[in-house]
Amino acid sequence: MKILITGAAGFIGSHLAERLIRDGYDVYGVDKFLDNYPRRWKERNLSTVIQNPKFRFVEADLVSLSLRDLLRDVRYVFHLAAQPGVRASWGDEFERYTHNNILATQRLLEACRETGVQKFVFASSSSVYGDTTDLPMREDGVIGPVSPYGMTKAAGEQLCYLYGKVFGIPVVTLRYFTVYGPRQRPDMGFHIFMRAALKEEALPLYDDGEQTRDFTFISDIIDGTIAAALYPSAGDIFNLGGGCRTTLNNVLAMIEEIAGKKLTFTRLPRQAGDVRHTAAELARARVQLGFRPRVGLLEGLTQEWQWLARELE
Amino acid sequence: MAISQELLDILACPKCKGNIHLNSSGDGLVCETCRLCYPIKDDIPVMLIDEAVKL
Repeated sequence: MKILITGAAGFIGSHLAERLIRDGYDVYGVDKFLDNYPRRWKERNLSTVIQNPKFRFVEADLVSLSLRDLLRDVRYVFHLAAQPGVRASWGDEFERYTHNNILATQRLLEACRETGVQKFVFASSSSVYGDTTDLPMREDGVIGPVSPYGMTKAAGEQLCYLYGKVFGIPVVTLRYFTVYGPRQRPDMGFHIFMRAALKEEALPLYDDGEQTRDFTFISDIIDGTIAAALYPSAGDIFNLGGGCRTTLNNVLAMIEEIAGKKLTFTRLPRQAGDVRHTAAELARARVQLGFRPRVGLLEGLTQEWQWLARELE
Repeated sequence: MAISQELLDILACPKCKGNIHLNSSGDGLVCETCRLCYPIKDDIPVMLIDEAVKL
């Protein structure tokens, strides 16, 4: 059975490819190798699958790639490719976000009109909720992104809804909540903190550290993502969160414990586009997908620490 | 690991969406219509118009 993963060289995409190949699927991977972080990190993400005969990989831009041919015989599409990053999405960079997050999604959905795709899984983000005080965030609640990135993810969700409604493409949207673990992007918080700690440098800390997030370990995200492809319905939106909202200060205390040393910080102001709190309501994912986050924060942080320590050796 | 025939069969030129074929040295995919060659680097076809070499 054939599967397409867009963004296959990324943090989540590469883990998904690994799992699906292990489960016996034939996987096509597409990635544009966006320059949001060094290419060598993304190539390393693929190192466990690139030589596997069940994995076929193409470097391409979804906007120009001939997708209909690629989708021939593909049963499931996991659309994870995106221009990531909240803080970088302001100003002139926005064009990259519209191209890679909106236009690419539209092209892929359009191509799916003429194929027999059984499920189109769209990777969205908790950032579509914006800076709400109505917690936990519910899938049927009001969305109001406060960053251009979040806006492009909301637009992607709307495109999925449209193509599902009008053309009957069986779409499902997943709102990922702050994913972490081995291979986390170098521009993401835990990676930045741990890299600084491993290099004996001060950790950059935005805001007062009392902001909270619903941190989600990568293997739990992969479980939820595959469950979304296989569940016997379509047209739904699901939150995928770790299930335990924690302050950043608590996380930093755990990293200190794992590192076995006192950390030092450079305090920085809150950045435009950052939300103060996120917390996922998981009832819908629990009931319909059987989603149960299994990896606790200390265990997950330890795994990311061990991975990064090896990478920086 | 060489690029698979299965992959070659489903790839098309990203510019004109027309057929491509493997060049004689096996390190590029050629679109005769656009007169472009898309490189194959480390067995990965790079189907980016900006990366293509003009023939």
